[in-house]
Amino acid sequence: MSGNENDRDMVDRCRQGNDEAWRELVDRFSQRVYSVAYHFTLKREDAEELSQEIFLKIFENLHRYDGGFPLIAWIASLSRNLCIDRYRRSKREKSFRFVSDDAVAPMLTSSDDPAADAIRRERTKMLFAALSEIPEDLAEILVLRDLDGLAYEEIGRALELPDGTVKSRLFRARAEVAKKIRERHESRGPGAFASVAIAAGAFV
Amino acid sequence: MSCQELERLFVAGASDLQGRKHAESCPACAAADRDQQSVRRLVAVLRPPVGTPALREALLAVPARTVDCENASLLIAAAMDEEIEAANRQRLAFHLFRCSGCALASGTLGITRELAPPQPAPWLAGRLAASARPAAKAVPRVGWRWLLNPKSAIAFAYAAALIVMLAGFNPADLARKARTEIPMEARSVAGAASVTLADRVGAFGEKALRTGMVFKSRVFGYGRAAISNAVQLVLKSDPPPARNRPSSGQERSAPFKNETDLTVASWKKDLALQENA
Repeated sequence: MSGNENDRDMVDRCRQGNDEAWRELVDRFSQRVYSVAYHFTLKREDAEELSQEIFLKIFENLHRYDGGFPLIAWIASLSRNLCIDRYRRSKREKSFRFVSDDAVAPMLTSSDDPAADAIRRERTKMLFAALSEIPEDLAEILVLRDLDGLAYEEIGRALELPDGTVKSRLFRARAEVAKKIRERHESRGPGAFASVAIAAGAFV
Repeated sequence: MSCQELERLFVAGASDLQGRKHAESCPACAAADRDQQSVRRLVAVLRPPVGTPALREALLAVPARTVDCENASLLIAAAMDEEIEAANRQRLAFHLFRCSGCALASGTLGITRELAPPQPAPWLAGRLAASARPAAKAVPRVGWRWLLNPKSAIAFAYAAALIVMLAGFNPADLARKARTEIPMEARSVAGAASVTLADRVGAFGEKALRTGMVFKSRVFGYGRAAISNAVQLVLKSDPPPARNRPSSGQERSAPFKNETDLTVASWKKDLALQENA
């Protein structure tokens, strides 16, 4: 049985009220959905609320999945609209997005070297601050590809874009993020993020 | 002047080595390549955030909180007849709050219960009452009610009187007999008949013969009377003979001619008598 057929079988069992099938679906995709939600919200409470909303949407729309493509692409497609909506709303409320230490902490592993940890934390904060400043259509692809690890085909199905467009946007998204980080560093003066920039080793 | 070659190679799926080789000979693409690699290094150190066990429990409970759109249709139909469990009612309410399509369907179906009856035109009530009045007066058929009908009562009375008369009980005779004593002949017959059984049988036969003759004469008498009445009734009910009025185009001289002749004849006769005198 192929992957898509497995997905279809699991979805059918979920529709029939099989709790085991639903548990299997949650365990397979909840981590990825939560990760996407967190990368767009950068708040644990918001990400959990958004994850529940996404899974409610998944359950209510199970009959729409026809097994023609991977389930993850379908779930990413459902997740995307909710995440982008939330992301745009938060951007409207705050023109500048402040990224706190707590916001990036769940994405970082601690080491024995506090200085290195601090540098990684600052770099991550800079990355998400820059992401919030680039257009959403670019930012979402960078998040889905580089942060959440979706394949180009899955992103293309989720966003209804051809692979070439996905790659092109990803290339430009990276370039835009690098540009924003450089601009922010230059506007604050060479001393402000010197250590961070030196640690990053690219933007100065 | 920017070079798009690095982006073109990336979109085409070229390897990093091919891109780097181009970047070595192109300063614009070298900066772009540095940016690409820097961002990739930035995100490479990040690990995916992990959800809490409470979140997993909440996600596992999703089927108990809501229903999919297909089952929502079934629950909406069941809810119309109040045949829905409390748990399903909550799931449906939660789903309707979130799904505009199902909420519209449910609301549209619910309208059928809320529709007010259409108001008739003001004149319709009076017209309907007028048309329904004879029907309202109609009394359900009961077996004995026909006796209350005047026609039936009269017919019944006539029939009863006829039976009484045919049986020999003439009310006038009864009244007469009540005022007079029993004749002597009858007494003697009764007395003689009571002597022996044979006499009794003979007396009974004679009495029966007489009664039969009386009954026969009465039947014929009543029959004749009825026939004569019927004939009279039929004759009376005949329409009057049409008067033979001549139409405007017909010759009207003939009847007058005879009359004129009679008049002339009577004059001549009178003249003859005067001359003779």
